[in-house]
Amino acid sequence: MKTYISEQNLNTLLDTLIAEGKRVVAPRMNAGTPLYEPLASADELVTDQLPKRSGKEAFFPLCEDIMSYEKEGQKVSITDIDPARFPETVLVGVRSCDAAAIPVLDAVFSWDYKDEFFLERRKKTTVVGLACTMADDACFCTAVGLSPAETRGSDLFLTPVEGGGYSCETCSEKGEALVKSYTALFAEACSSKALPLAEPQTEKIDLQKVKGWLDNHFEDPAWDSIATRCVGCGACAFVCPVCHCFDIVDEGTEKSGKRRKNWDACGFWKFTHHASGHNPRDQQPKRYRNRIMHKFKYYDDKFGETLCTGCGRCIRLCPVGIDIAGIVEEISKK
Amino acid sequence: MTQPIDESIYTAVTVAIQAEAQRILSEGLVTAVVGYASARRKGSTQPIVITDAALAEKLIFTPACVNNLAVYLTKAKKEIPKTGRIGIVVKGCDLKALVGLMGESQLKREDLYLIGVPCIGVLGSIIQPDTAFTSDSIAPKCRECDAHLPLGCDFVPSQQPITPELEKKYAAEIDRLEAMTPAERWAYWKEQFSKCIKCYACRQVCPFCFCEQCLCDRNKPQMVETTPRPAGNFAWHIVRAMHLTGRCAGCAECERACPMDIPLNLLNRKMAKELKDLYEYEAGFEVNAKGPLTMFTEKDDQSFIK
Amino acid sequence: MHTEKPKNSFEPKIIAFVCTWCTYAGADLAGTSRMQYPSNVRVLKFPCTGRIDPVFILKAFQQGADGVLVSGCHPGDCHYIAGNFHARRRFAAFRKLLEFIGVDLNRLQFSWVSAAEGGKWVEVVTDLTERVRSMGPMVEFKELAMEEQWSGTIDTPELKEAYNQI
Repeated sequence: MKTYISEQNLNTLLDTLIAEGKRVVAPRMNAGTPLYEPLASADELVTDQLPKRSGKEAFFPLCEDIMSYEKEGQKVSITDIDPARFPETVLVGVRSCDAAAIPVLDAVFSWDYKDEFFLERRKKTTVVGLACTMADDACFCTAVGLSPAETRGSDLFLTPVEGGGYSCETCSEKGEALVKSYTALFAEACSSKALPLAEPQTEKIDLQKVKGWLDNHFEDPAWDSIATRCVGCGACAFVCPVCHCFDIVDEGTEKSGKRRKNWDACGFWKFTHHASGHNPRDQQPKRYRNRIMHKFKYYDDKFGETLCTGCGRCIRLCPVGIDIAGIVEEISKK
Repeated sequence: MTQPIDESIYTAVTVAIQAEAQRILSEGLVTAVVGYASARRKGSTQPIVITDAALAEKLIFTPACVNNLAVYLTKAKKEIPKTGRIGIVVKGCDLKALVGLMGESQLKREDLYLIGVPCIGVLGSIIQPDTAFTSDSIAPKCRECDAHLPLGCDFVPSQQPITPELEKKYAAEIDRLEAMTPAERWAYWKEQFSKCIKCYACRQVCPFCFCEQCLCDRNKPQMVETTPRPAGNFAWHIVRAMHLTGRCAGCAECERACPMDIPLNLLNRKMAKELKDLYEYEAGFEVNAKGPLTMFTEKDDQSFIK
Repeated sequence: MHTEKPKNSFEPKIIAFVCTWCTYAGADLAGTSRMQYPSNVRVLKFPCTGRIDPVFILKAFQQGADGVLVSGCHPGDCHYIAGNFHARRRFAAFRKLLEFIGVDLNRLQFSWVSAAEGGKWVEVVTDLTERVRSMGPMVEFKELAMEEQWSGTIDTPELKEAYNQI
């Protein structure tokens, strides 16, 4: 179903949702940095910058409690987190690359083990995607088979049109429900042309060819030349819309504390460090190899698609200029 | 007002670096050269380790050569050849870090072949590496640099860096924060640290964070919460700044690498300022066996002690 | 023989990091001499002020201290010759860092108290306790400990209410 919403009505919609007690998460500026964060009012919405972290945070928090414990004398009491407490959320202004990442994460978190934390948050979230109108030379969604107009992962998808406002496409029941609940704010589909969408410069990469090479080159001198420069931070994984590794830590005192789930990154030395002291990925290139392997081979082996949506964040933010698009392109030519 | 900065000497500097790297590799003076090479995106560069003289032509120097390569001599111990001397391309600020590492017995001068860069500055951020090099895009550290020409290198191209006089941003920002009340400063840092995701890019790019296991990666005892919650973030950044006090050479890599734009170097600059006031210490080109916090005099200020 | 203790609405928690050779002995002397000092202070004994890592001070604040005292031997009296000289520089720097972060330095006191200075110990502890009492609780770090990163927060109206009542 296609409808139209003016910019003013979109703001009214967001303000109404906020007033109703829903958490509206959208790109906003936090101390000079664009991030997906809960809005206090629709005025905060920023649509002209790609947030530095992806939208995955709405379902897969940077850090969340999974239980708490208390010890009194010999008595230990454990309190689980009640998923019913997860807030109803509307995730707004999600770029195509971030929205397309959501089904990719769904597959992982509902595979052999159903991760109730992720799935419950996911269930309670409506995703309003936004067609992308600007790209730089780090963007490569088109190279991994997506596009700035990709509606995958969105419940409602907005495309900015000439003369202001957005053409809306409902892509799921959740999206339909949102439009129905606030039907007065939506008008009939208009005939205005969509604004010119972004045009990432990278050409389509043959991902099957990349996987074919990776299948046979676990050991290869290329890894050293690619990743000796990697300094082992977690920036790439933490800004990635589809990286989903986490670590579980207990924090607190003997008397009381919490078990928490935090993002983790395969670039960290500690990621594969065994209790024995042995580390199977003892050198940085081996850790970086895992990043590429997981994205373009392991995930594909298991779920039949690529663990990368081409948002380009890791390319822009890598402190040492490691360029995953360039690496994959090169592999595809081997 | 934005004024372009003349970066034309870097073309000649690039040629000189290539020739020198080619020479020292082919003559066997070094086993490897750590430098910068261009990358796929327009204007982008990345660190590179070259062991073959024929590849010396890959080396470049441009305003996008922001990295402090000194980090590779401490952190990438397993990846970079251990035997023989290693050549490394250094800007003035990078050299100060190397000098600090020598003082801390992490490196020996005789194991290094230093290729200095006459530096007019680099970009503040390489998120968009083809940004024009101007008084706006220049790194804040370069605005107050006193080390455009590294001293004591084995080779420095003959070009003379001519640099425009620019307003000192860190000094102004420190003044601004110092004028605030403690509550206002707390609010400022709280907002900044709220963005931290504990990716540890600040630690990993820092040449001085060479501990085999960081205090923050230990959990017995756990001195710093590992979670990226506000409490853990504060603790981490305080610990980081304290561990660099009297050691930081001012390369500002922490701040540049921070994917969340936290002004981390502000903490380092503030501490550098305090140490200058207290102990007349400044990071420089001279190797000192002891840093300001590993030595003392009996006359040190103790006005704050009852 | 005990004097009547005044009742206060706020009793600050003061953590004292002391060296075993001078200040701990000084505090002990105050005790054996039956001098009165506020019971708000919890003493943690270290071999030397040189062993007191700034991170301990941070941890104390994070764990709910309203004030912190660090105390050791007078310059020249260190059992390990120079531990307190090193500590002096480290703390001179650390307090500047805390100040820059936004911690009110009135909550942090450094002192030299020798084994013979029971009276000085009483004075230092009393001064700090009264000063911190007048400043009220150190809420900054406690508030931080309660805060979550936005994505991990859950709807807990009763917790929020309880928190607002603090």
